[in-house]
Amino acid sequence: MAEKVVSGAETLKRRQKADVKELLMKIIFIIAAVAFIAAVAVICIFIFAQAYPAIREIGLFQFLFGTHWWPTIDEPQFGIAPMIVGSCYVTAGALVIGVPIGLLTAAFMAFYCPKGIYKVMKPATNILAGIPSIVYGYFGLRVIVPMIADIGGGSGKSILAASVVLGIMILPTIISVSENALRAVPKNYFEGAVALGATKERAIFRTMFPAAKSGVMTSVILGLGRVIGETMAVVMICGNSAVFPDSIFDGVRTMTANIVLELGYAEGLHRSALIATAAVLFVFILIITLLVSLIRKKAK
Amino acid sequence: MKKILMAAASAVLACGIGFAAVGCGTNGDIVVISRESGSGTRGAFMELIGLEDNELVAGADEANSTDVVTSSVEDAEKAIGYISLGSLDTSRVKAVQVDGVDASVANVKNDTYKLSRPFNVAWKKGSTNELRDDFLKYVASEQAQTIISADYIFNVEDAETYTPAELSGTLTIGGSSSVTKLMQALAEGYMELNDGVTITVTQSDSGTGMTDAASGSIDLGMASRALKDSEKEKLESTAIALDGIAVIVNKENPCTNLTVEQLKKIYNGEAKNWSDVDVTFPEK
Repeated sequence: MAEKVVSGAETLKRRQKADVKELLMKIIFIIAAVAFIAAVAVICIFIFAQAYPAIREIGLFQFLFGTHWWPTIDEPQFGIAPMIVGSCYVTAGALVIGVPIGLLTAAFMAFYCPKGIYKVMKPATNILAGIPSIVYGYFGLRVIVPMIADIGGGSGKSILAASVVLGIMILPTIISVSENALRAVPKNYFEGAVALGATKERAIFRTMFPAAKSGVMTSVILGLGRVIGETMAVVMICGNSAVFPDSIFDGVRTMTANIVLELGYAEGLHRSALIATAAVLFVFILIITLLVSLIRKKAK
Repeated sequence: MKKILMAAASAVLACGIGFAAVGCGTNGDIVVISRESGSGTRGAFMELIGLEDNELVAGADEANSTDVVTSSVEDAEKAIGYISLGSLDTSRVKAVQVDGVDASVANVKNDTYKLSRPFNVAWKKGSTNELRDDFLKYVASEQAQTIISADYIFNVEDAETYTPAELSGTLTIGGSSSVTKLMQALAEGYMELNDGVTITVTQSDSGTGMTDAASGSIDLGMASRALKDSEKEKLESTAIALDGIAVIVNKENPCTNLTVEQLKKIYNGEAKNWSDVDVTFPEK
């Protein structure tokens, strides 16, 4: 009897020890989560605290819809409308180029690819993902830009050049995320479709893609996020002129390019205006994220 | 949802094609390449040709570094750009004469070449630093003269020979990317004579160099332009060299000479075609 009691106390002790371990891990997890949230919060606070005075001094309307960016003259003007338009054009262009190629490649890799070729393609996408953006920028500057100059005239540094390079840049993201999503769809969906008389292509594009919708959408959104935030590659190939473009062969300046071009030099209100540009970019990304979750909810 | 996405994508595509069709051929054939506002080279160039910063022709490319300017001009037949004379690579691009004067070190020195600027170093007003003063003594010496005059124009008359002061420690220098190349060569020369000294030269831009020097986070700031009045309040400075700005065109371009007035017209958009500045490309 006495022995039993001792052993019971021992197990209790052991369990308490385990509880301590569990508690410790719990605390570590909480610290990790808090650190992450704190990082997001601090960045938000930093951006908006710095941006607010600038926007108040310039005027929100003047800042967002002003068409002149003349930061260094005696009576400076800070209008980022050309940059907002530039960012939108470049992003749309990159998606138009990158998404179809990416999704079709993903379909190829998931359903058509012979094993030998897959062994080459998979590492190739990973390599593409690992190339630094400055290298993409230089590649764009020396290869894509002269090609576009031959076609469209001018310097070649243009919306089109930026779109092509960024379209290539987002390929690995789109390919690998959508491929995984397509592979995650149960095989019997495909078999069922084929059994009902669908061709292979029909089964893939009418059954598998809709079933993998959420993953495919995620890949596009990740690509979109990368494009709108991309800086170093864009700044080398988009021309950086802060005016509204007339054609896709004209140069634009994106919001990110605006920040990286001038932050080093800027003082006072000019610097705050650049941080405010970052705030606008931040809001853009927030809106996109919200829109996407809305679309996804509706789709479900 | 897919239909909406498809519609949006095709609308964007249609817009792009529409714009491309409408927009082509409205501009002239000069491809104007400038630097970003705030760049020391741009500040110096615009001032030297007599333009305010916002008078730059709308739609001019704004390259973010010297190499991007050179590459762009090398690749585009009808482009024009400007870079620091020290970075000029005549195997890739062609420098044109300005007002009939060659862009050369000799011509900047004898003050006949119009597009030249000072390279300044600046330090926090009132701060004392033995090592810095010794380094500045070296920069104005005979030994430094041979380094500086290789690419730039030495700015001191009757330079004396520098003798090492047996100092040790570290010196941090930062700022203008145009000055960095020269400063690194000078730092190496100085460290060869002074074993105990480490000099680190970091590259950013003139504005950052002045801000950092004023805050004391670096010992010496570099600027490839004259100091602004707001900077002069916090900094003492000295010019270590003079630099010329070369106007560069593609090697296929028959243009050999431009006047400052023509440069001004090109960069403010009054002259949109090479024929407006009396340059005719050979028929192909």
